[in-house]
Amino acid sequence: MKNHFTGAAVLALIAGAVAADTADKRIALSNNYAGNSWRQAMLSTFQETADQAVADGIVAAADAYTTSENQPTEQAAQIQNMILQGYDAIVLNAASPTALNGAVKEACDAGLVVVSFDGIVTEPCAWRIAVDFAAMGKEEIDYLATRLPDGGNLLEIRGLAGVFVDDEISKGIHAGVAEHDKFDIVGSVHGDWAQDVAQKAVAGILPSLPEVVGVATQGGDGYGVAQAFAAAGRDTPLIVLGNRQDELKWWAEQRDANGYETLSLSIAPGVASLAFWVSQQILDGKEVPKDLTVPFLKITQADLDATLASTPEGSVANTVYTLEDAQAVIEAAE
Amino acid sequence: MSLAGMTSKPWIWAWAAAALAFAATLVLTQGRGAGELAYAALSFGAFAAIVGLGQMLVITLGPGNVDLSIPATMTLAATLALKFMGSDPGTALPGLAIALAVGLGVGAANFALIFLLRLPPIIATLAASLIYQSLAIWSNRGLRIKPPTGLAEFATGRFLGLPNVAWVGLALALMVWVLLERSLWGRWLLASGQNLRAARLAGVPVEAVRAATYLAVAVFAALAGYLLASFSGGAALNMGAEYLLMSIAVVVIGGSSIAGGNSNVPGVWGAALFMFLVVSMLNSYGAAAGVRNVLTGTIIIAIVIAASSRRARI
Repeated sequence: MKNHFTGAAVLALIAGAVAADTADKRIALSNNYAGNSWRQAMLSTFQETADQAVADGIVAAADAYTTSENQPTEQAAQIQNMILQGYDAIVLNAASPTALNGAVKEACDAGLVVVSFDGIVTEPCAWRIAVDFAAMGKEEIDYLATRLPDGGNLLEIRGLAGVFVDDEISKGIHAGVAEHDKFDIVGSVHGDWAQDVAQKAVAGILPSLPEVVGVATQGGDGYGVAQAFAAAGRDTPLIVLGNRQDELKWWAEQRDANGYETLSLSIAPGVASLAFWVSQQILDGKEVPKDLTVPFLKITQADLDATLASTPEGSVANTVYTLEDAQAVIEAAE
Repeated sequence: MSLAGMTSKPWIWAWAAAALAFAATLVLTQGRGAGELAYAALSFGAFAAIVGLGQMLVITLGPGNVDLSIPATMTLAATLALKFMGSDPGTALPGLAIALAVGLGVGAANFALIFLLRLPPIIATLAASLIYQSLAIWSNRGLRIKPPTGLAEFATGRFLGLPNVAWVGLALALMVWVLLERSLWGRWLLASGQNLRAARLAGVPVEAVRAATYLAVAVFAALAGYLLASFSGGAALNMGAEYLLMSIAVVVIGGSSIAGGNSNVPGVWGAALFMFLVVSMLNSYGAAAGVRNVLTGTIIIAIVIAASSRRARI
């Protein structure tokens, strides 16, 4: 690890000798998957931020690349290509936390800065912009506890089986339930972060469930859950949502119809722009701690109308991070 | 039913397994929610049945024939149709026409790759599906547009106590059954699947049969995508993902021969219901994802063995 710090420092010195900025630096985004609205919003936010930065002369180039099959082997090859293409930094949303470590190490050894976010990598030479997913799951239960002081039966919607994020959020949810012991998780299904899959899974388990008062979700599944409860003729429970526009719109409709109140939280796709600025700061020679944390984007009853107005139809609530935001996140970590 | 009767009806096993999964879930609930569960199974089973019927026709064409572009076709048809409709009332039929046209286009493209370029169907449809998926991404960037209210109400509504989508699925199953069992085209398809060379020598227009089959599977997938998007509140880029293996599984579990030349329409519906019910059953019993996958796989293998060993004993 020390070697890489030295490497980065040398790189920073060389860069500093030419100019104090990063105008000749080239940054690449290595992305493993593009097949849902969250990833599409992530890609477009990155592109907006990057195009503006190039136009302003902050960096020389910033290009986005996505693999087609969501496979670590494919992404490892992509990273190797980026090294050969002479990029100075790679902003990485990884298909696996460990399987890309070899390729990431090669990139570091070749003098590239690697900043992983959302799907982070464990290789020590890379930077990590992580979301505390377990805290996110716990916060859902904490919120349910404030709204449902008598407790009751909960349904847990999980994500894609075998993915790190799913395990983390679920861990947080279960930790929350352990703390608020009036709650009882009576059912758990995998919704794969997709409305139609969640709807199908919930429709299948509902007949065997007693009354459910609350639903903890992982994002991208809340609307499908609501549809399944409605189709089964059950009362709508308190569903913690995940920032998708159709979920927010449904929430607003319910609020107007019957005063429905809930909370929505997820990670903003704009985290890609944060990762972009962090990599720019590292290229600029700033000392940046290896582990950074990005807060999740939380929407409360009070923010609902404003967020709904600013979110494109069918997309995800988003925040675009600026250079100042990145500097604030870096300072907070120091 | 006599043993001989069961032997000639390999679809019995899929239906028996579906009934067992249904019963096992009701044991847990002590009989509550039977209607609810059956209704959900018919709703969600319909989508698997529609894509399964298409896949069955292709698999019947004989070894090596399979359509792996079903998920991408569903996504592309649904995305373009919902984008065109833009939630405006009265656009459901033009939207349907667009979805079906996408199906025809995809089917024609797949067949062109297979026939003109002589690519193996697995490679051709898999490679082409990347293009279809990219077109879907490019056309709407993953934005989820709501279906028109009337269409959404139709897709989630019921008629005579059964879900409308199940009626559509049943009507298509009946149509495919009549085509296969009672029409010349069906005989040609079975003959081509049993022995392509013999069929050709006997004067069967095998290329026309293959073309029609690849068109049919894509149109079925497009229709399923259109209905699923209307049912679940919009098209999503990953909406077709689980229907790749599902479409093949329902064909195999349903008792159709994976080697082709022998298809089984009632089995596809039985298997589609089973695939929903077995996951619901395991979820209801609280099985973790890993256990659920292992059990689902084991049960599928058991049914396929049961169905095929009965056949072999004739």
